[in-house]
Amino acid sequence: MTSLQQPTGAQPVRRRNNRSRRNQLAGLLFVAPALILVLIFFVIPLGMAFWMSLHNWPLLGKPRFIWFDNYSRLLQDAQFWISLRFTVYYTVIVTIAIFAVAFPLALYAERSRPLTKLYRTAFFLPVVVGFGSASLLWAWLLDVDSGLFSYVFAYSGLTEKRINLLADFDTTFWSIVVMVVWKTAGFNMIILLTGLQGISTEVQEAARMDGASSWQRFRRITLPLMRRTIALALILSVSGSMLAFDQFYIIADGGPQNRTVTAVYWIFSQSFMSFRLGYGAALSMVLLVILVIISVVQLRLLRNPEGM
Amino acid sequence: MKLLKIAALAATIVGALSSSALAQQKLTMWSRSTSEAFMPTLIKAFNEKHKTQIELQIVPSTEMVQKYATAAAGGSAPDFVALDLVYGPAFAKSGVLEDLTDMAKSLPYFDQLSKAHLGTGTYEGRIYALPMSADASVLLWNKKLFKQAGLDPNKAPTTWAEIETAAGKVNALGNGINGFYFAGACGGCNAFTFMPLIWASGGDILVDNGKRANIDSPQMHDAINFYRSMVAKGYVPESAKTDSGKNFFGGFATDKIGLSPIGAFAIGNLVKNYPTVEFGVTFLPGKDGGKASFGGGDNFVVTAGRDNLKAAKEFLDFVYSLEGQTLLAKGGSLPTRADVATEAVKSLDERYQIATEAMKIGRTPSSPFYNDIINSSTGPWKQMLNEVFFGNDVKGSVAKAQASMQSILDAAN
Repeated sequence: MTSLQQPTGAQPVRRRNNRSRRNQLAGLLFVAPALILVLIFFVIPLGMAFWMSLHNWPLLGKPRFIWFDNYSRLLQDAQFWISLRFTVYYTVIVTIAIFAVAFPLALYAERSRPLTKLYRTAFFLPVVVGFGSASLLWAWLLDVDSGLFSYVFAYSGLTEKRINLLADFDTTFWSIVVMVVWKTAGFNMIILLTGLQGISTEVQEAARMDGASSWQRFRRITLPLMRRTIALALILSVSGSMLAFDQFYIIADGGPQNRTVTAVYWIFSQSFMSFRLGYGAALSMVLLVILVIISVVQLRLLRNPEGM
Repeated sequence: MKLLKIAALAATIVGALSSSALAQQKLTMWSRSTSEAFMPTLIKAFNEKHKTQIELQIVPSTEMVQKYATAAAGGSAPDFVALDLVYGPAFAKSGVLEDLTDMAKSLPYFDQLSKAHLGTGTYEGRIYALPMSADASVLLWNKKLFKQAGLDPNKAPTTWAEIETAAGKVNALGNGINGFYFAGACGGCNAFTFMPLIWASGGDILVDNGKRANIDSPQMHDAINFYRSMVAKGYVPESAKTDSGKNFFGGFATDKIGLSPIGAFAIGNLVKNYPTVEFGVTFLPGKDGGKASFGGGDNFVVTAGRDNLKAAKEFLDFVYSLEGQTLLAKGGSLPTRADVATEAVKSLDERYQIATEAMKIGRTPSSPFYNDIINSSTGPWKQMLNEVFFGNDVKGSVAKAQASMQSILDAAN
């Protein structure tokens, strides 16, 4: 047993120091693969994009260093600001719509019912379809000549004849919002569901014993305890919507009259349709900064008083 | 000993074969998917008769420009490319293309080559691209529907008023039949079919050597009013508003459209795939007559710095021969050499003759920024057309497009 006794004096301090240093090194080694990946796939490309944004960088021909000209040009780019405003508008509307559908779905799917698993699967199913494929499917549904919606509307007498839902801004916009809610509500439902299931049933029961109504329990217990889950779902939804592209490109082609061109669509169009890679990079940097600010604000607003 | 002899003989044969293979030049060429009907046949015929061998790769039309630009930047571009003629100036400006001026001028039939192609193939006085395949815009009318509507099926409309009247009568047949069709959300399609209406009326889109946009012109407003009137009267199907070009041809092929401005490519396609559609072909007219056409198609370009001019000349000589031009025509492209054009389309549908004539008067706006101002799906041309055909503020939309195009041109010049 004596051999296991800790020695006394200066020796253990040094050993502890050694150990903590070794621990630090081991920790660094453990995170090294992740760090390297972040460096290669995020930090370096970000640096390159910023470097590119300081150039007139055509796809054809040689890049020319122009300092911050791309950024000053961006200030006067009317379409970029229109696109950005539209993207924010879309993000607000679609996020509210997704939560309005996903929260009730989560509450419904949480309780044990005979077919709970089936419901959960059914609600989640559209999530596994890629945005590209889902957009193609909806492009057909919304088609004026061969699509299902215009046929149903005309057949049921809602419209006099087949209408072209993509010819008008409001119908195009709301069609895409419905499509995105259909596509992503299931994902948000699952996130919210994990939050709901994390709330101890004892707390709920105690409140019930104290005579709290179901609304009071939802308002005073469920919502506050789900703060972090809601924050996660909100940040994912907002950053995803701010980067929306596929559905507007595939279904509406930015139309009618460029009115559904999102910020990313405009970046894509400048970079790969007009071949101004430097300018596209500058637009991307600005969008990145805006996204970071939005995310930070969201995190602050949703932080618990005692810290998250 | 015998075995050794056989081995020596075999080695000689193999050596001879490989050295002859080395002597053969294997060159690579890209062509866009719309040329799939004639390019493979043309290349095959060339390879059979020449030592120089070309390996053709078909590239999706929508990806061609991006793919070629990226490949050129990375040094992996093909030796030759059949490039949409409107992109000639952009590539020439960037230094990707070989200067073909001397070779072109040495061709004895140089002055017979399509002017529209040479126009966009010339940049700052030097020739970088030569005609490969051609397509001219024309007006098609459905003879069966004309007959049903009480119109003379053999008389082509020659003014806008005649087009509108005929479209109205056909439209009155009802039953899902419409008088007129155009792809209302497609910049490229309308450059091809709407610009000629302005040219034939005496207007132009780009002036001062492509340095100034001339959108806000009386001819443009007249042409807009012509289309707007047909849209307002319901002659144009609802789907045209959002057609980004996918149904550019499809509408007329359904036998439910009276008239449609379209490319000559439609003639071959209709004859081959929709033999029941009876149609006539005529020129796109100006407001009170006249005629014009957009000269479209592909130009032949050579990637710079490869020392391939001799092979390029060999290939072009074949393309411009009667045999080459006939092969092109049979596959749906119009001939690009005027003095053999009539002979090349002789065995084909007579309606090709009109298209061939249209090609001779074909015009193409030449600008390195063509893509930005005209073809781009977020560009000012497409946005303006959709607004003015289907919206309310014609004056505002035209003025906005004029300013936007000019600012693109100014930023670049």
